[in-house]
Amino acid sequence: MAHETEHTSNHPSFKQYVIIAIILFVITIIEFGIIWDKVGIEDDLGPTVTPILIGLSAIKFAIVIMYYMHLKFDNRIFGTIFVSGLVLSFLVGGALITLFVGFGGEPRGYAAANAVPYEHHEEVEGKEHVEETAPMKETTEPVSAGPVVLAVSAVGETLTFDVPTLTAPSGSEVTITFDNPSANNQHNLVIVEAGTKDAVAADGTAAGPTNDWVAPGDARVIANTVLLSGGASGEVSFTAPAQGTYQFVCTFPGHNFTMFGDFIVN
Amino acid sequence: MAHAVEHEYTTTGLNHRKMLMWVFLGSDCLFFGSLIATYMVYRGQSLVGPYPIDIIDIPLTTVSTFVLLMSSFAMVQALSATQADNKRGIVNWLLFTAFLGAIFIGFQIYEFNAFKNEGLTLGGNLFGATFFTLTGFHGAHVTLGIIWLVAMAILGAKGRLGPDTALDVELLGLYWHFVDIVWIVIFTLLYLIGGFDAGPSVMPGG
Repeated sequence: MAHETEHTSNHPSFKQYVIIAIILFVITIIEFGIIWDKVGIEDDLGPTVTPILIGLSAIKFAIVIMYYMHLKFDNRIFGTIFVSGLVLSFLVGGALITLFVGFGGEPRGYAAANAVPYEHHEEVEGKEHVEETAPMKETTEPVSAGPVVLAVSAVGETLTFDVPTLTAPSGSEVTITFDNPSANNQHNLVIVEAGTKDAVAADGTAAGPTNDWVAPGDARVIANTVLLSGGASGEVSFTAPAQGTYQFVCTFPGHNFTMFGDFIVN
Repeated sequence: MAHAVEHEYTTTGLNHRKMLMWVFLGSDCLFFGSLIATYMVYRGQSLVGPYPIDIIDIPLTTVSTFVLLMSSFAMVQALSATQADNKRGIVNWLLFTAFLGAIFIGFQIYEFNAFKNEGLTLGGNLFGATFFTLTGFHGAHVTLGIIWLVAMAILGAKGRLGPDTALDVELLGLYWHFVDIVWIVIFTLLYLIGGFDAGPSVMPGG
């Protein structure tokens, strides 16, 4: 019974509810006014606009939960439960935004650039591995400089190539045919210097689709096909460069993280 | 009888149904928080248009925001009428709240349709994907609230709502106000702040 009296007497009156409604309306008008100014007049408030708007909406948020949802008058346990969820959601959101907007907006690129290659661990652990693998590199097949035709294809709707490596002898005339069987995705095939696929793709994104997602005159690019729509095929011919390991990659924005392989010149 | 139920013994001394509603709302914060964070992560990253600046209609949405705020006021009046045992007031305020909610949904349907005609789709670009997912789930919450409001209004018309069952209306009110505060956040972030975003060249923080 005591609970019941407490319940009714502590709730705001009709007049107070009207005042709260008016406050909420006025804040919304102010928010709109700030933005409307921003459209007409040149950014008077500048970078302070965002914090002001967030502050105003936080005030509205607090007024509604305290008065309309009675948290100001109700048992504190209810408020604690709700605010716990609210705080957790801020933490989750903050973590997501830090992960994806921090690191230059490219967490996968950041990770790739800072990753310690697995082979490196092996080398550190014991020199035996190095000795075992070293002779294998010496037994490379003899160089023949005839023409080489290689084929590669995208795999269905996935963002992957069907082969992990392509191999050609140094100095040979290489022709790579590239099939894009996808119904939806556009792809290209770009041969680049070792370790530069993400950087080339980033510059390609800036260059845009009219340049086939490849920056014109990019010195790291050895050769590339045009941008192929779904179902299309293309080819690219070039002279295989000096012996070493290069990369092939699709530079359509975002594809470079999964759609790449090694181009080995022996 | 209902009175006795509401005051049954619990270990916290608090009503379990009300506790459940607050736990649900706390968890719904995480639901919307994650969708909002996803929108913010992909903000300004769409590679193709339409971009927010091309299609976001701030004056229109300010009006629908007013409507939703007004519905929250109507909702607290419905609860006051229930506690005061004002039978006609209960039904009228509940129906008025539902009516305002329906107007808000009408604005959203109009907006979604207009955006679709401008070329914004769920699968077209990151803006469309994150925008429709977030505001669509909010619209679904409002729609559920409208159904709940109408159902309660029918109970009220049958004379089954009054001071003894005020908790039923209070729980509905908590849900409805929560949907309102979620919109307060969405309106600020997606419209007032994010409504001027364009393509990747103006990426925030990048």
